[in-house]
Amino acid sequence: MASGIPYDLARQRWQVGATPPKRADEVSVPDLLKGYHPDHGPRARVSLAVGVNRGDPCQPDFAAHLQANALIDDVHIAGAQLVTTDVLVIGGGGGGCAAALTAAKDGARVILATKLRLGDSNTVMAEGGIQAAVGADDSPQRHFEDTLRAGHFCGEPELVAQMAMDGPAVIRWLIELGMMFDLEDDDRPLGGKLLRKKPGGATAARILSYRDYTGLEMMRVLREAVELEPGITLWNRCPVVELLSDDHGRCAGAVVYNLEWRCFVLVRARSVIMATGGAGRLHLNQFPTSNHYGATGDGLVLAYRIGARLRELDSFQYHPTGIAYPRHLAGGLISEAARSAGATLINGEGERFVDELQPRDVVAAAILRECAEGRGIERGGQVGVFLDTPSLEKANPGILAKRLVTLRHLAKKCGHDAAQEPFLVYPTLHYQNGGVAIDRHGATGTPGLYAVGELAGGIHGRNRLMGNALLDIVSVGRRAGAAAAAQPADGGTLWGRAGIGHVHAWQRELTLAGLPLDVKAPQLFPTYAHFDLGADAGLGAGMPAHGVGGIR
Amino acid sequence: MVQLSVEGCPLQVPATSSILQAMVAAGQTLVEGVGCMGQGVCGSCRVLVRRTGDSEVRTALACETLVEEGMQVAFLEYFTPAARHRYRMDELGDSWDALARIGEVFPEAEHCRHCGGCDRACPKGLDVQRGVNQAVAGEMAASAHVFDECVMCNLCTLACPEHIRPNHLGLFVRRMLASRSLRPSDLLRRLQEIERGEPAIDFDAPGARPPV
Ligand SMILES: Cc1cc2nc3c(=O)[nH]c(=O)nc-3n(C[C@H](O)[C@H](O)[C@H](O)COP(=O)(O)OP(=O)(O)OC[C@H]3O[C@@H](n4cnc5c(N)ncnc54)[C@H](O)[C@@H]3O)c2cc1C
Ligand code: SF4
Ligand code: SF4
Ligand code: FES
Repeated sequence: MASGIPYDLARQRWQVGATPPKRADEVSVPDLLKGYHPDHGPRARVSLAVGVNRGDPCQPDFAAHLQANALIDDVHIAGAQLVTTDVLVIGGGGGGCAAALTAAKDGARVILATKLRLGDSNTVMAEGGIQAAVGADDSPQRHFEDTLRAGHFCGEPELVAQMAMDGPAVIRWLIELGMMFDLEDDDRPLGGKLLRKKPGGATAARILSYRDYTGLEMMRVLREAVELEPGITLWNRCPVVELLSDDHGRCAGAVVYNLEWRCFVLVRARSVIMATGGAGRLHLNQFPTSNHYGATGDGLVLAYRIGARLRELDSFQYHPTGIAYPRHLAGGLISEAARSAGATLINGEGERFVDELQPRDVVAAAILRECAEGRGIERGGQVGVFLDTPSLEKANPGILAKRLVTLRHLAKKCGHDAAQEPFLVYPTLHYQNGGVAIDRHGATGTPGLYAVGELAGGIHGRNRLMGNALLDIVSVGRRAGAAAAAQPADGGTLWGRAGIGHVHAWQRELTLAGLPLDVKAPQLFPTYAHFDLGADAGLGAGMPAHGVGGIR
Repeated sequence: MVQLSVEGCPLQVPATSSILQAMVAAGQTLVEGVGCMGQGVCGSCRVLVRRTGDSEVRTALACETLVEEGMQVAFLEYFTPAARHRYRMDELGDSWDALARIGEVFPEAEHCRHCGGCDRACPKGLDVQRGVNQAVAGEMAASAHVFDECVMCNLCTLACPEHIRPNHLGLFVRRMLASRSLRPSDLLRRLQEIERGEPAIDFDAPGARPPV
């Protein structure tokens, strides 16, 4: 990271309650993005050399994962235990849970395998809320148009329309499962009105929430429902390391690695629903991230390898206000609520430098520019700009205590009082706009394989509106669950030959393209997890012992 | 730099690390007991901590706890006893039965010893015991409110000598409350309109096309 103006000096230049002038800025938005946003500029993309998306642009770090060799080979699974089920759901976030619950309700036997523990996901971390057009001044049509426009018209109209129409039914489904929502008047659950907030970039107030931990409320309800559902067998700490294919190019199940027992298990399934979420923990472009520990893009790698088409692989969302200092919280999210309530961004010279309520990519690029040009603020080796919460509190006494509760908690964790001291913020890798191409049922281009949630692409185009991710995961999750459960149980799909034939084809492709075979993916954990599947599973002779028997 | 021990293993790490980051910095393998990595919402990183000069062993979330000189840390295995309270939201009857259902699904709850074990265990500082007692008394809204910020770390469940599973009781009450009483008028109306097929999406509306 670049160096910046020392913190103490920046503090002297910043005055609580002062209204610093905004620096005049000649640079146009496109030039700002081109110059400073990681999605733009000359090093933003490479062209893929293998797979169905050959020739398509992709973020370079991510391309290395997509074009890697498999973690396992035939010999590693030769003696593995075999289990069969109707539906295999991979991933225990909101999307996976919605799919599993629906499939089980429709009578399918479901196995849900997840890498960490059920619920350890981006879903539980969501704060802001979920979109659904319920207001009298709003409509599914507006929701549809807002979403398309925000995504720069790269979204699939069919999918967007379906999501907008599903919104109210999704909220009803969540309430029936026991999720609470904020009301305008908390004492009137029967016949009152839902509290609605306006997301940046929308034409009506459409965000429904529960306090500022909507994802926590959603996830604890979904998790409990899944754990108590007799039709679902839950496998915690069981990351999927490869998919299974049959002779007809169908997805026929998956290879799971059981971290507890350190062994592989083959799961044959009539349908596989992939819901492994995003890729933030790959720290693309060496960015900090707001994502949970398991967000290493595994599902994208596996789906691509078996032949599913991906889209918008060069479009990621960098949230403008991640925590920059203290280091142990770096990358953590400070929600957009602070800026929409009026908190300003201040550089090391005490100036405002951007309209804080512009779209996320613009604000993020503006912060990156300040830091790159030496007007950032340096503290303890970390660089960022101020998010001026003290002035916000001064202008609206009590706002931190009443409306921005999480922000106050967060400040406490950072070791300061949000009413006295500004946060130091820097953009953080937040969301994957693209993903696996799906149809209205979440079906991918590979028969038998469905994709749900952040891993799937096509709804958010090249930019996602706040609150649409939580809606998308439940809307598509339920549809994919129903479609997967409806697959006919003709026996044939479960008893035919299945293996990792597609991996062998993939290896030939890599070799032909001159790509190395010793680069392997999916990564499963961030590099600093110090995890090596080969060592952990005792694959191959003479493997170094590192990774086995760590203290945890 | 700070010296501490995790699971009996001495580590030397920068003073500005959380316990989880300390493990990462020390090159240890970290593939469980972690989730949100700092936001403090997933409840995965449960640890027992003894600080220098403190006679008591305390529970904490490792991603939210900064390392201290001489600190001793042990991770807690995720604790899921085989027998748990089973219920299905859609089989609970109407809200007139609420109190009976609480008693049926969580029969232990009325045996609370008021030992405060759950309160001491809770890393979020919730009034867990009060929430349990309110649930038994049928004060559902008050009980639900106690568990508003619960991250389901299960530490209270681990602590409770009566096997009450306070956080699951709290969640049960919350779920009942929402599913049996939350009927917002605006949502009801929009659902009805959609059922009647009223708002259809117009793909050719001017706003659905990129500006030329
Ligand atoms: C801090 C933060 C705040 C957010 N706020 C909002 C908001 O306010 N509103 C909104 O709409 N959206 C928000 N989002 C985005 C939204 O939360 C996510 O996009 C969405 O929850 C993703 O859901 P999912 O089910 O697709 O994936 P996740 O919830 O991430 O779940 C993926 C699951 O798959 C598992 N997994 C991964 N790899 C494997 C593997 N190899 N094998 C098995 N399992 C695997 C993971 O462990 C995890 O359990 C936010 C995101 C973050 C990070
Ligand atoms: S109430 Fe129990 S489960 Fe919830 S945060 Fe407190 S200790 Fe953890
Ligand atoms: S630990 Fe159990 S018995 Fe003790 S106060 Fe809490 S709920 Fe009651
Ligand atoms: S890692 Fe989620 S609470 Fe600590």
